[in-house]
Amino acid sequence: MAAEPSTAPRSLASALRARDDQWLAVLLRRRPDLLTPVPLDIGQLAARAATRHSVVRVLDRLDRLHLQVVDALVELPEPVTYDALRGLLAIPAEVLRPVVDRLGDLALLWGPDEELHLVRAVRELVRPRSGSPSIVELQPPAPAPRRRELASADRTATMAATETVRRVEALLEHWAAEPPPRLREGGVGVRDLRRTARALDLDETTTALLVEIVHAAGLVALSATFDGDWLPTPAYDAWRREPVAQRWTVLGEAWLSTSRAPALVGERDDRGRPAPALAPGLDLPPAADIRRVTLEALATLPAGGAAELAEVTAVVGWHRPRRGGARRDALVRWTLREAEALGVTGQGALASYARALVRGELAGCRAALDRLLPVPLDHVLLQADLTAVAPGPLRAELARELQLLADVESTGGATVYRFGADSLRRAFDAGRGAGEVHAFLRGASRTPVPQPLSYLVDDVARRHGRLRIGSAAAFVRCDDESVLAEILSDRRSRGLLLHRLAPTVLAAQVAPETLIERLRSMGFAPVVEAADGSVVVPRTAQRRAPARPQPQPSPGQRLASDDTVAAAVRAVRAGDRTARHRPADAPPLGLARSASMQALATLQAAALSGESVWIGYVDRHGSTSERVVDPIRVDGGWLTAYDHRSGEVRTFAVHRVSAAAVLS
Amino acid sequence: MTEGPLIVQSDRTLLLEVDHELAEDCRRAVAPFAELERAPEHIHTYRVTPLALWNARAAGHDAEQVVDTLLRYSRYAVPHGLLVDIAETMARYGRLRLDKHPVHGLVLHALDRPVLEEVLRSKRVAPLVGARLDDDSVAVHPSERGHLKQVLIRLGWPAEDLAGYVDGEAHPIELRTQDWSLRPYQREAADSFWHGGSGVVVLPCGAGKTLVGAAAMATAQATTLILVTNTVAARQWKHELLRRTSLTEDEIGEYSGQRKEVRPVTIATYQVLTTRRKGVYAHLELLDARDWGLVVYDEVHLLPAPIFRMTADLQARRRLGLTATLVREDGREDDVFTLIGPKRYDAPWREIETQGWIAPADCVEVRVTLTEHERLLYATAEPDERYRLCSTTETKTRVVESLVARHAGEPTLVIGQYLDQLDDLAARLDAPVVKGGTTIRERERLYAAFRAGEIGCLVVSKVANFSIDLPEASVAVQVSGTFGSRQEEAQRLGRVLRPKADGRTARFYAVVARDTLDAEYAQHRQRFLAEQGYAYRIVDADDLLAGDEA
Repeated sequence: MAAEPSTAPRSLASALRARDDQWLAVLLRRRPDLLTPVPLDIGQLAARAATRHSVVRVLDRLDRLHLQVVDALVELPEPVTYDALRGLLAIPAEVLRPVVDRLGDLALLWGPDEELHLVRAVRELVRPRSGSPSIVELQPPAPAPRRRELASADRTATMAATETVRRVEALLEHWAAEPPPRLREGGVGVRDLRRTARALDLDETTTALLVEIVHAAGLVALSATFDGDWLPTPAYDAWRREPVAQRWTVLGEAWLSTSRAPALVGERDDRGRPAPALAPGLDLPPAADIRRVTLEALATLPAGGAAELAEVTAVVGWHRPRRGGARRDALVRWTLREAEALGVTGQGALASYARALVRGELAGCRAALDRLLPVPLDHVLLQADLTAVAPGPLRAELARELQLLADVESTGGATVYRFGADSLRRAFDAGRGAGEVHAFLRGASRTPVPQPLSYLVDDVARRHGRLRIGSAAAFVRCDDESVLAEILSDRRSRGLLLHRLAPTVLAAQVAPETLIERLRSMGFAPVVEAADGSVVVPRTAQRRAPARPQPQPSPGQRLASDDTVAAAVRAVRAGDRTARHRPADAPPLGLARSASMQALATLQAAALSGESVWIGYVDRHGSTSERVVDPIRVDGGWLTAYDHRSGEVRTFAVHRVSAAAVLS
Repeated sequence: MTEGPLIVQSDRTLLLEVDHELAEDCRRAVAPFAELERAPEHIHTYRVTPLALWNARAAGHDAEQVVDTLLRYSRYAVPHGLLVDIAETMARYGRLRLDKHPVHGLVLHALDRPVLEEVLRSKRVAPLVGARLDDDSVAVHPSERGHLKQVLIRLGWPAEDLAGYVDGEAHPIELRTQDWSLRPYQREAADSFWHGGSGVVVLPCGAGKTLVGAAAMATAQATTLILVTNTVAARQWKHELLRRTSLTEDEIGEYSGQRKEVRPVTIATYQVLTTRRKGVYAHLELLDARDWGLVVYDEVHLLPAPIFRMTADLQARRRLGLTATLVREDGREDDVFTLIGPKRYDAPWREIETQGWIAPADCVEVRVTLTEHERLLYATAEPDERYRLCSTTETKTRVVESLVARHAGEPTLVIGQYLDQLDDLAARLDAPVVKGGTTIRERERLYAAFRAGEIGCLVVSKVANFSIDLPEASVAVQVSGTFGSRQEEAQRLGRVLRPKADGRTARFYAVVARDTLDAEYAQHRQRFLAEQGYAYRIVDADDLLAGDEA
């Protein structure tokens, strides 16, 4: 801060304002929480940088040396001078200067050497300790590395890396076939995880780790259905096509940066329930940071060096003293265990390609791993006990084909496949032919194909597809083969989609009725066969409705009585009158209730006077009719009246009466 | 990347590339702690089991050696978890020790007290131990020695048995090697058995297991109880012992259904030992009749379950198991290991064959296509009749006839399962038949005649599966078998594997009806042989009859 302008800034904001853009960019990169949302101006940036919340984040990531300097700054009265700080701390200048600069770069400390200000939140968060400052630990503890031969460590790690990639593929293939449902509270059920672990022949801890990683890598997601199943994503299909090194790098990167702690899966909560994988509760904010610091601690060791857990824990403890003790130590332990399982480390030493991964050089990691991977083989060893042994990783297309033809019996550095009738049938079902399989086996094996294997292929091929199943809508049978040949060759039969099943049987894809009709039109005389083969003789060709009970005659169909006839006449008359007496000013029918108020009055008046009234009425179905009625009473929205047309007393809904006029 | 011959798989199997230049060294190095599972032509499969690791510990190998062997020969990196696991598994051995105690006889002593506390809390251990002597030891009744060891292995804390063996009643036995000598592997087998104390020797049929037994007896110089499968086998043991050792007729007793002789060397059948009268084993006292110094179990893979239980009481005596295969159809291989002892010696068939001690064999599966009529009959048969039907078809009989005719002049065995089929075959081939009902005397007469070359062809039922000695059989034709029994197949192949005077290749035909259960079972049986390195050649019966195939 010696380069500060002579006029001391009066606030953090003005201190920040004085910095150049590049400096600000570095600050934002180091404190990414300041970026969301993007601050409007420097003032806002400074305010946010000074909040407790944000300051805690920075402090949590400071190592012991920095924190000790912060302690001293807190203890000294504000404003602090650099010299006072030096006086308090017995630290050589070449160590102290960068620390102070860094605190400034993190926007925790501002002002020139003569007038250093600590952001207030820091003072609130770091309690000044009574007495003299503790003994300063300038350096992290240095683990005594146990030397591993780098090549050997790399080999172990590469092996684990290959295994990881293979297991992830097996995991996702398994889930694609049997997707585990999402739990109500999110995640994958304990039982589903156990089942998956069993299918993969893994322990549950490793399975949970892989599940969490594939999720972090975006290779698995919930399906779009309401309840949701865990399914591989399209990203998985792309991932699967990548070379092994790239695939591993994707997984390694996902593991390195996930804020979740897969090791928490299965840990019991307060109520004794084990935590499911992919559940929301597994996020541990310091997880990613501690993981990285742990691996960086390993990276400081010479190539091929491994360290004891306690040593690594101590180093991480020095770098992140403010992170919770037990959880932090657990995270270190988990990180080392997971790193070994994933192939980030081998025999406890950081693999050479993983160094690039920790540095964030993904391309370098990929290339380094690629160099270490054994060259994929293009052949297998076929044996008379019907196994094929691939003494190393196989080329992808060869592996895929073998997986189709045979069942995997054992995996590891080599893969053992076993051929069986079932596995070969699977291949034939997938469309392989016997000749194709033979050719493939000959091509894949350097030694002659064992005879029992070729016999097995032939045996299964011979039996495969011997029974044929299809569907037909109808069939034509004829003992005379020539008749069927004639039908087939007739141009008019084309629409029937006929197919000759046997010399005496044709299958058709149209309904039997259509078939009969068409064959008749072609001059044949077919008969219909029942399911048991007997001939069905149709009684008549006339069409009939299905049988139903005889309906009761409606009143109108009964022999009309005189009364009825009289009523009918009355109705006709009424209808007639209706037409005649339609008032000239009556609204056109169907014009709703535009005049309903008036209609109501008319009806009420008529009910009192006993006059006949012409009404327009809209029934429940919306059809309109005209009637002549003698209103009896009007109440509750209902009109009770003698209807001239039906000759009986009926009720009408007043709101459906579109118009009413008194007949004179 | 080292180019070792071994590939270590994550499921604890080891794949050994046979053609690799280091393969032989590697085989020797892994044999103490891994069981050979399969030995087909290119890649042999070994499996590392806890039991095998503990056996290795018992034989004086430590985890470091095992790990070192894996690392040295492995082509790829060895999964770290496996190495840790091996170390941990092996470290479990010997935390508990069975010691002799001057006062209490037998004592279970703990080098690791929590382990003792753990096992003593097991319900299965509690009834087997006596009073607690001090913090670290507990008394054990000598008769529970075997049970306790078995239970401790199940609990994962195998005890190191330092209680030793009783010498037994001394009895002089010498090998009389004027006109013959032990083959190197027989010597090795007997020696490694003796150094191990107790255990199993696995040698192929025809490799002379009886002589390994005799050599062990000569080393023990003590009274011996020999347990065999049946009376014929008992007679053969006796015959062999008389010929090869200094033992005389008076010193060897037969304890069978017919005779009950207890002599310094007593040969008893499994059957007589397991005979029960009124719910109790009537002949159990035989086991204590003398102070046996050695107990030999012939065909240990056939050992019936009651004998297992009896064996548990015999832990203070040296026990030798002899077998051609540790494949037990009941899957109780582990019991053999725990009660008789670990595998002390084994040699793959192929190896002994290349050394010339057993005849090279040509296994041929003859595929027979059934006639339309037979297939129809088969297709419509009741499920439980099907196997019988397809394995006894007329078409197969005709093929057998022509095979026997082809090998006229060579000693030929026709082996089958169904008696009426065998009778029918015997009549057509004009050959005598040996089956369950044949008297011992008649059997021995027929065997002798066959051996002498007076009879060229013998039809045998499954009674002849075990322990018959037909030195000059060079052709075997199998027409039907006990469903998919693998060890039966091994035994039957063994019939023809004894070396021939003229160094001829033995022929083993299996006549199989195509597309039936017969073929399915045949495949299952043959898998075992393929895993032993004996691949079947498949020949179509029609080609064979047409003479295309010599």
